[in-house]
Amino acid sequence: MASILTFCMGTRSSIPRSGLELLAVARSLSQQLGSVPVQALFLGLGVREHAPALIHHGADQVLLADHPCLERPEDEVVLGITEEVVRQLAPRVVLLPHDELFGGHVGPRLAYRLKAGIVTDCTGFAVQNGDIRWLRPVYGGKAMAYMCARGLLQVATIRSRAFEPLPADALRTGEIQEIPIPEAFSTSVTVVERVEAAEERGLSLDRAEIIVSGGRGMGSAEGFSILHELARVLGAAVGGSRPAADMGWVPHSHLVGQTGKIVAPKLYIAVGISGATQHMAGAGSSKTIVAINKDPDAPIFKLAHIGVVGEWEKVVPPLIRSFQEMRS
Amino acid sequence: MHIVVCLKQIIDPEVPFHLFRIDPVAKTQIRGSHPLVISSYDEVAVEVAIQAKERWGGQVTIVSIGTKETIQSLHQALAMGADAAILLCDPLFEQTDSFGKARILAAALRKIGDFDLILCGRQAGDVEMGLVGPFLAEELGIPCATLVANLVSSNGKVRLKRPTESGYEILEAPLPCLATITNDESNVPRYASVKGIRAAMRTPIPTWTATDLSLDAAALGQEGRIEIDEMWIPQREIRCELIAGESAEERARNLALRLRELGLV
Repeated sequence: MASILTFCMGTRSSIPRSGLELLAVARSLSQQLGSVPVQALFLGLGVREHAPALIHHGADQVLLADHPCLERPEDEVVLGITEEVVRQLAPRVVLLPHDELFGGHVGPRLAYRLKAGIVTDCTGFAVQNGDIRWLRPVYGGKAMAYMCARGLLQVATIRSRAFEPLPADALRTGEIQEIPIPEAFSTSVTVVERVEAAEERGLSLDRAEIIVSGGRGMGSAEGFSILHELARVLGAAVGGSRPAADMGWVPHSHLVGQTGKIVAPKLYIAVGISGATQHMAGAGSSKTIVAINKDPDAPIFKLAHIGVVGEWEKVVPPLIRSFQEMRS
Repeated sequence: MHIVVCLKQIIDPEVPFHLFRIDPVAKTQIRGSHPLVISSYDEVAVEVAIQAKERWGGQVTIVSIGTKETIQSLHQALAMGADAAILLCDPLFEQTDSFGKARILAAALRKIGDFDLILCGRQAGDVEMGLVGPFLAEELGIPCATLVANLVSSNGKVRLKRPTESGYEILEAPLPCLATITNDESNVPRYASVKGIRAAMRTPIPTWTATDLSLDAAALGQEGRIEIDEMWIPQREIRCELIAGESAEERARNLALRLRELGLV
């Protein structure tokens, strides 16, 4: 029976959360479509020992490719393996994480090659008369849409943190099957150099449970140093709005917005951010948004769950002290 | 090097929430009196192309599927420094999905013929699917580098800078190839100069129709593999809880207590 196939790139130390989120989507879809089997393709180097965890989180079968060429594979290698596996298994639905590799590269090219319908950056779904309707934001989150992917095969890329992983069930059983890696993929685009940034960038936005973000209202790069301090106390990542990134106060890799990262942490603290649609497209899915702004009429107070009216210079230092006191 | 940038014109994405309207039957945004602009990442792609031309010479051509109104955005790209622009306009082009769009652009690229590098914004600023760039590379059967921010060298092959979480990596790709473009510090789009605007207005912009590109409805995949089934504006019923306190310091303390009470810190 045509399956639901999910993808996961693991590392020696861990399974990314996105891999478990996809299994939660797959299980729920499986139930609504009528007991469709869930297969998980698990790629990486030194990942074998993590394979049972995918079963515990919802897979019926794990297809394992543990190979040195998968430590930091070229995009085209992942595309090649993915295409090969999908052609062989002929699943009904392919679920991919909406990240740079799968959402930006593998998903679209795979769909094109297999003449499959594709919906990217999905945040939910509904099953109606056996058809899957994929929910996703459009127009920077100002509207929502249900989209359908037509064809025998459909591909969906799923936004990070839109779904919660299922709790691990150690009693769940399933099959783990090794799959062969085709010898020597020829790649036309290759990584010839990797450069680590000189400056300290702190925690990444994708993984952070808490994000502290600053905007034009911070006034300067120096203003941002207090946000880094607040982030340290909270174990948070630091982000910024487009004006803050364009003025170089935060690196572009930490820009939150329609032209940056789309984030959904459990807590988002926006400081000196007015709440322009460009920014809220990136931050709007956060579970709880806190706004600190001196202008009580700033649009952000219509979009935040909790607000503090006041100048950040006067609010943030005592806020840091309060958190420090709580911890000690 | 001949660089072709694919550009989409969209309704200004900065339209605030309270002025944003959709047509639930047509399942699209209602333009109203909002301006039309170059989609953000496509404007960044124009900037990247012009920077490459300034460094290594060559020419930059812009292509866009659009209407007569799109000419205004093509003029803007010319004013930024592009050499030529082509409008792809036909009633047949209007209802196509991303597969159809890629097919139209591929036909235009084949007609242009002598391109070395194609740049596409990573995704459009309206529906944000991010499909047309990779689809176009597949349609033309050329290599595809995704989410790059700039070119670092051009010498028979291109080297491209791709931002990563912890820094960046350099990709090498043979020519011709396609790259999807993301933004970073190096590619903030320039403003057009007055001189550039004057010159742009004098540059003729040819229009290519389906007939010019030898495309018919069948070739454009009118069956549609990606469909918008329903569209709506979500109700935003967030009532902001304002933290009370006489002084900023007291409000800050109360905020910390409230966040702890909610189990968020």
